[in-house]
Amino acid sequence: MKINANINIIAIIIAVVIVFPILSVFLSWLFFDIDIWNHFVKYLLFEITLSTFILLIGVGLGVSFLGTTLAYLVVMVDFPARRWLEWGLFIPFAIPAYVIAFIYLGVFDYSGYLQVWIRDVLNLPGFDIRANSLAVIITFVMAFYPYVYMMARASFKLQKIQIIQNSRILGANPFRVFYKVSAPLIRPAIVAGTLVALMETLADFGTVSLFNYSTFTTAIYSAWVDFRSLETAVQISSILVLLAFFLIYFEKKARGKAKYQIFDSEHKQLYRPKGVASFFIFLFVFVIFLISSVIPIAHLIIWSIENIAKELTYHYLELIANTFFLILSATLIVVVIGVLFSLPYNLKRNNKIFNFLINTSTLGYALPGSVMAVSLMYSVQNISFFIEYFGGSSINYLLFGSIFLLLFCYICKFIAISYNSSKASIEQIRPIFIEGASILGASKFILISKIYLPMMRSGIFAGAILVAIDIMKELPATYILRPFGWDTLAIKTYELSADGLFERASVPALIMIIFGLLLIFLFKKINDSKFIKIV
Amino acid sequence: MDKIINKNTIIIAIFTVIAFVLVAIFISSIKKDDAVTVYSTRGEHLITPLFQAFEDKTGIKVNYLTGKDGALIERIRLEGKNAKADVFMTVDAGNLWYAGELGLLQSVKTNILDENIPKNLIAPNNLWNALSLRARTIVYSTERVNPEELSTYANLADDKWKGRLCLRSSKKIYNKSLVASIIHHKGEQKTKEIVSKWVDNLAATPYAKDGQVMQAIIAGQCDVGLVNTYYLARLKDEKPDAPIDLFWANQNTTGVHINISGAGVIKYANNKKAAIKLLEFLSSKEAQEIYMQLNHEYPVNKNLEATKLIKRWGNFKADDINVYILGEKQATAVSLMQEVGYK
Repeated sequence: MKINANINIIAIIIAVVIVFPILSVFLSWLFFDIDIWNHFVKYLLFEITLSTFILLIGVGLGVSFLGTTLAYLVVMVDFPARRWLEWGLFIPFAIPAYVIAFIYLGVFDYSGYLQVWIRDVLNLPGFDIRANSLAVIITFVMAFYPYVYMMARASFKLQKIQIIQNSRILGANPFRVFYKVSAPLIRPAIVAGTLVALMETLADFGTVSLFNYSTFTTAIYSAWVDFRSLETAVQISSILVLLAFFLIYFEKKARGKAKYQIFDSEHKQLYRPKGVASFFIFLFVFVIFLISSVIPIAHLIIWSIENIAKELTYHYLELIANTFFLILSATLIVVVIGVLFSLPYNLKRNNKIFNFLINTSTLGYALPGSVMAVSLMYSVQNISFFIEYFGGSSINYLLFGSIFLLLFCYICKFIAISYNSSKASIEQIRPIFIEGASILGASKFILISKIYLPMMRSGIFAGAILVAIDIMKELPATYILRPFGWDTLAIKTYELSADGLFERASVPALIMIIFGLLLIFLFKKINDSKFIKIV
Repeated sequence: MDKIINKNTIIIAIFTVIAFVLVAIFISSIKKDDAVTVYSTRGEHLITPLFQAFEDKTGIKVNYLTGKDGALIERIRLEGKNAKADVFMTVDAGNLWYAGELGLLQSVKTNILDENIPKNLIAPNNLWNALSLRARTIVYSTERVNPEELSTYANLADDKWKGRLCLRSSKKIYNKSLVASIIHHKGEQKTKEIVSKWVDNLAATPYAKDGQVMQAIIAGQCDVGLVNTYYLARLKDEKPDAPIDLFWANQNTTGVHINISGAGVIKYANNKKAAIKLLEFLSSKEAQEIYMQLNHEYPVNKNLEATKLIKRWGNFKADDINVYILGEKQATAVSLMQEVGYK
C-alpha cells in the first residue's frame, strides 16, 4: 500500500508542476486589449475558426480512415511486399511536416514540375492547389496518418482471432469484417491516434504558413508579432487549450465505458486475396508509401547531393551531438513520468482530482511550442517576483537559457504521448493477472515491477520512440529556450529554409530523417524480438 | 522473466541524465569575460563568417544565439538587468524599432558609425543602426511583360494587371514594411485602395516565399510580382536564362522601397565596449564586403561601391525616408492588409 501512496504523491506533485504553466495561459485574460480583439473579431476570427475546423475535420477523417485501413491491410491481408511496406509506412514520422509541405508545393503546385508537365504534354490548364483546403489537408494526412497507423496496427495484431474467424464462418466478406468487427473493436486506438494527429495539427505553424492557410496559430502569431501583444497571443492560445480539452473529452465520450482487453497472441492466418485484388491492394498501399515517404525523401537526397559540399562542415558534428543528447535525456525523463502517471490510473481508479490533473497536464501537446516556451518563461518570471517579494533573489538568471527549462518544456509538451501509450498498454493487461497476483499476496511493488512494467514494455517503448522522434523534430520551443551553442538539426533546417534555401536545408533534414529511420528500425527490432512480446 | 525496465535501470538512467545535464550546464556556463554576445534573428549561415572576421581582427570572441524576432525580444525583456546578450541583431526596421520602443536598447553614437552609415539608416535616438540594405521591387516576366508598362508599386493596382499579379503573404515582414512606406507617402485611405486592388489582381493565393513568387512568374501563373532583389540574384546565379527580370519601382516618384538588417546594443549589456566595436566593425568596408558576398545585399557603408555583381541591375533611386517610420507604421499596415483580405 505504501508504494502505491508514494507513487500517487510523486505523480501528483509532478502533475501540478506541469499543469501550472499550461493553466497560466488563462491568466493572460487579466490583461485585455480591446482594440486588437475588436480588429480580430471583425476581420479574422470567423475565417480562422472556420478554416481551423475544416482542417481538423478533414485531417481527422483522413488520418483515421487511412491509418486504420493501412493497418488492417498490413496486419490481416496478404499482398506483395507486405513486410516491407509494413515498416515503410512508419517513415513519415521521421519527416517534419513542413518539409513534406514544401516538397509537395514544389511538385504539385502551379510551378511544380508535375503541373508543368501536365500543361506542356497534356495541354491541360494549371491550377492553384492552395486555393482551397484540400491540399493542406492531404499534406497533414500524409504527415500524421502514422499516428493512427501505429496504434491501430498494434491493436489489430492483438485482436482475438476467433472473433474474426467466427465472422468469416458466418459469411461476412473481408470488407464487412473490417467495418463491422475489426475496426470497431479497436476504436480506442483509432481515436487515440487521431487525437494525437489533431493536436499536432492544432499546434502546427510551419506547414500552414507554407500554404498560407490561416488557423488559430496564424492569429496567435499575428497578435504577437504584428500587434506586439503577447497577452492577446496567449489568450488565443488558451482557446487552443480549451479545444484540446474538448477533443480529449470527446475521446472519453466516444469510447464510453468500453475497455478493450484484447490479449490474443499474434495470429498468423491472413486473408489471401486473389491475384488482381491482391495487386490492387499492393498498389493502394504502395501509392500511399510513395507519396508520403518516397517523394519527399527522394527530393531531399537529390538536393543533399548537390549541396553537401556547401553544407557539411565540422559544425554538423555539434548539431548531431546536441540533437542526440536532447533526444536521449528528454525521452528518458518524459517516458519515466508518463509511466508514473499511468500507473496510479490503474492502481487507484476513481480519484477524480488526480485524473483531472493528469488529463490537464497532457494538454500542452496542443499548444504551439513557442507559446509553451514563452508561457514557461513568464511562469519563471512570476516565481521570481514572488521570491523577490519575500526578500529572495530572482531565479530568472538561473533558468533562462538553461537546459533545465528546455527539458521541462519537453515534458510539458510531450507528456501526452508517453502517458497515453503507457496507459493504453496498461488497459490491455488482463485484470485476472492482477487479481491472481493479489490473491497470492503480491505487494504493490511486486505488482508494478513483476506484472505492470513487464507487460507494458511494448507500449512504453512505442511511446519512447514517438517521443524521441517528436523531440528530434521539435523546433519552436527549442529555438526559444536553448542555451548558447545548443543548436540542433531541426534549427539548422529551419534557418536555412526560412531564408528560402530549401535545397541546402535538405542536408540537415536528411540527417534528421536518418536518425528517425534508425529509431523506427530500433522499434522494429524491439517489436520483433521475443522478449518484448506481450505475454 | 527478462526485464528491460526494472527499478534499478530507471534509477541509473535518471542519474545518468542528471549527471549529463550538470556537466552540460557547467560547460555552457564557462564564458570568457571579454567575449561579446549577440542575439541574432539572422541565421547562423549568414552571421558566422562576419563574426569570424571580427574575431580574427580584434581577438574578441563572439558568442551568438539565433532565434525569431518576437521570441528573442521577449528573452531580452525577461532577462532584464541580468542580460546575457550585448547586441541584438535582426532583420527589418520594425523589429529594431520595437526593441527600441520597449527600452531594450541603449543609445550608441560614435564617429565611426556616423562616418560609415547614412543618417536615414540610423535611428533618431541612436538606439540602433542599419548594417545592410535590401531593396524590394517589381519583377516581371520577360516573355509577357513590356517593362514600359511598369512604373510604381501603386500602378500594380491598375486593372490591366488583373489576374497577372503574384504576391508573397502579407504575414511576411517585408510586405508589412513596404505597405508601411506606402502609408507614409500616400496616407492610409489611398494605401487601402491600392492594396485592395492588389488583392483583386492576384492570380493565385499569396505565396509563403519570394522564391515561389518568382517560380510562379517563370511558370506563367502570373506576370508581375514583388520581391527582394537578392532572391532574384540567387535565382539568376543558378539560372541566368530564366525569363524573369527586375524593374526598379517608383524611380520618378519616391524611389525603391528599402528595408534594412541592423543591430543595436542591449541596454544592460555586460560588455558595451566590445559590443560597440562589433557594430563599428560590421559597418566597416571589410565587413560590408562580406555582407554583399554572403547574400547579395546592398552595403550601408556610404564610402563603399557595391560590387559589380550586386549592381548588375544598375543604380537606382532609393526611398530615403528614415527607416524607423517603417516600424512606427507597421501595425497600421497589418490592420489595413487584414481588412482588405490580403492573406
